[in-house]
Amino acid sequence: MWIQALRRSLILCLMLAIVSVIAFLLPYMTGGDPARTILFSRMRDTALDPHAVEALRVSLGLDRPLYVQYFTWLWNAVRGDLGFSFTSSQPVAAELIHALGVSITLALTALAIAVIVALPLGTLAAMRPGGRLDNFTTLMIQTFVATPEYWFAPMSALVFALYLGWLPSAGWDSWRSLVLPALTLTLRPLAYFTQVTRAAMTDVLRAPYITAARSRGLGMHGTVMRHGIRNGSLPVVTFFALWLAGLLGGSVVVEVIFAIPGMGRLLYDAVINRDIPMLQGGFVCIVALSILINTLADALYVLINPAMRGNHDH
Amino acid sequence: MAVALYNQRKRPSALSGVVGFIRRRHWTFFVGSTIFLVILALLLIAPWISPYDPAQQGLRFRLKPPSALHWLGTDHLGRDLLSRVLIGGRFTVTIAAVTVVLSVVIGTFIGIISGRSRGLIDEVLMRTVDLLISIPDVVIAIFLVAIFGPGYGTLIASLTIVGWTPFARLARGLTLSINSQEYIRAAEVLGCTRRFIIFRHVIPNTIRPIAAVAFLRFGHKLITVGGLSFLGLGVQPPAADWALMLADAQAYAERMPILVIAPGLAIFLSALSVTWIGHGLNIDTKKSSGH
Repeated sequence: MWIQALRRSLILCLMLAIVSVIAFLLPYMTGGDPARTILFSRMRDTALDPHAVEALRVSLGLDRPLYVQYFTWLWNAVRGDLGFSFTSSQPVAAELIHALGVSITLALTALAIAVIVALPLGTLAAMRPGGRLDNFTTLMIQTFVATPEYWFAPMSALVFALYLGWLPSAGWDSWRSLVLPALTLTLRPLAYFTQVTRAAMTDVLRAPYITAARSRGLGMHGTVMRHGIRNGSLPVVTFFALWLAGLLGGSVVVEVIFAIPGMGRLLYDAVINRDIPMLQGGFVCIVALSILINTLADALYVLINPAMRGNHDH
Repeated sequence: MAVALYNQRKRPSALSGVVGFIRRRHWTFFVGSTIFLVILALLLIAPWISPYDPAQQGLRFRLKPPSALHWLGTDHLGRDLLSRVLIGGRFTVTIAAVTVVLSVVIGTFIGIISGRSRGLIDEVLMRTVDLLISIPDVVIAIFLVAIFGPGYGTLIASLTIVGWTPFARLARGLTLSINSQEYIRAAEVLGCTRRFIIFRHVIPNTIRPIAAVAFLRFGHKLITVGGLSFLGLGVQPPAADWALMLADAQAYAERMPILVIAPGLAIFLSALSVTWIGHGLNIDTKKSSGH
C-alpha cells in the first residue's frame, strides 16, 4: 500500500509540474511579447513607447533565459508570492485566498444540501426498485441534470427576489444572499449523488451480509440503517470530493449572475481584463486544490471502507 | 472447422436484431428521440419557417408582449423572439455534437490502450484521467479563451480536453470485463480468430454503453457550451443563440419574463431529450440485470 501511495504521489507531482509549466508559459502563448501585453493591459494603448517596453522587460527579468524565469516564478509561487494583479494592484495570493473562502462556503453549502437530500432519497428509491418513489426520483434526476444554471438562477431570482421579495437577487452580505446561489448550484450534484447512492444501495441490498442480517430476524429498516447506509454512502465520499473540486471555479456562471466575489468570478474578470498574474495564480491554485482534495478523498475512502485495506488492486 | 460449427447456429438477421433492440428500449428512449428529432428538424428548417429575420431590429416594437404578429413577443431591440428561438440552437448543438464525437473517439481509443497495456502506461493514463476529471471544463475554457480568444476551435478544444475522460474510464472498464467473460473464453476455445472475436463480441458489447454515456454527456455539453456563450466566451453577440438571449434578457426579466422563459426552455428541452435517449439506451427492459 505504501509503494502504491508513493507511486501515486510521484505521478501527481509530475502532473503538477506540467500544469505549472503551462501556467508559466501563459503570457508567451497569448501571442507576442509579455512586456507589451502587460503594458497594453495597463495603458490600453497599442502605440507603445519602445523604451518603456524595454525598461519593463529588464525590471521584470524578462530578458533572462526562460528556464531561469520559470524557476524564479515557481520558487516565488511555492512561497506564496504569485505577483500582483494588473487591474487591482493587490497581491494575487491575497485576492485568491479571499475568493477561495467565498467559493468554498458556497460550494460546501450547496453540497451539504445535496447530501442531506440525496442519501435518504437514493436509499428509499433503492429499497423498492421500480416503485413510485423510484420512478419519481429518476425523473427528478433527469430534470435537474438538464436544467441550465443560467436559466434556473434568473427564474428563481425573478420569483423569490422580484415577485415575493424574500431574498436578495445578488450580492454577498448575509446568509440570505447565500440561499439562491446555493440552491442553483445544488441541482446537479444533488442529482448525481442521488443516482450514485441509489446504485450503490441497490448493490449493497443484494449483498450476502444483508440477507444474513435479514435472516437473523433484523427488520428491513434496521438492516438498512445498520449495514446499508454505511456501505451505500461510500461512493458519495468520492463524488463529494470531485464536486467540491469542481465547484471551486466551476461555479463561475452562478457567481457572475449573483455577483458573488468568488473564485469563478475572479477568473472571469481576469480573462475579461487580460490580468495574466491573476489567471496564472488562479489556474495553478484550482488545479493544485483539486489534486489535493481528490487525494485526500481517496485516503478517506480507504479509511472508512475496511474492505479496501490491503486491497492492492485499487 | 470450429468456426464453421459456430456459424451453423442460426444467425439472427439484421432486421430481427433491430426489432429486438427497439423492443427492449425504455419509454424514455422513444420520447427523448422524438423531442430531439423535432428540435433538430426545427433548427434545420428554421430559415424557411421563421416568421421574421431573427436579426431584424425594430426599435418601435421593443419589448412587445406576445401577439398575433409576434407569437412570443419581441426582445429589447425589437427582434422577433420566436424567430430567434427557432434558429438559436444551431451553434450550441453543433459544438456540443462535435465535442462529444471527438471525446468518444479519443476516450475510447485511450481507454482500450489503457485496459490492454496495464502497468505504467495504464497508471499514467488513469492518473491523468483522475486529474482532468476533477478540473471543471469551464475553467479550462476560460484559460484557453484567454490565450486564443473565443471561437469554434477554442470551445471544441477546451471541452474535449476534459470531455474524453469519462469515455476512457468506461472503455477501459469494458475492455477489462469483456476480456474475462465466459463467451470470449468459449470463442477462443472454439478457435475463433482474434479479429472475429473483436468484431463479433467485443465491439457490439461496447457500443450500447458508450452510446448511452455519449448521449448523457451530450446533454451536459449543451449546457456547458450555453454557459460559456452566456458569459460572452462562446457565440459572439450579433448571432441568435439561446444562452446569449438569456444573457440579454437579464435586465428585462421583470418586465418580460417570456424573454427568459422561452430560450431557457429550449435549452432545457434539448438537454432533457438527449438525457432521456441516454437513459433509455442504458437500461434494458427485458433483462433483469439492468446495466
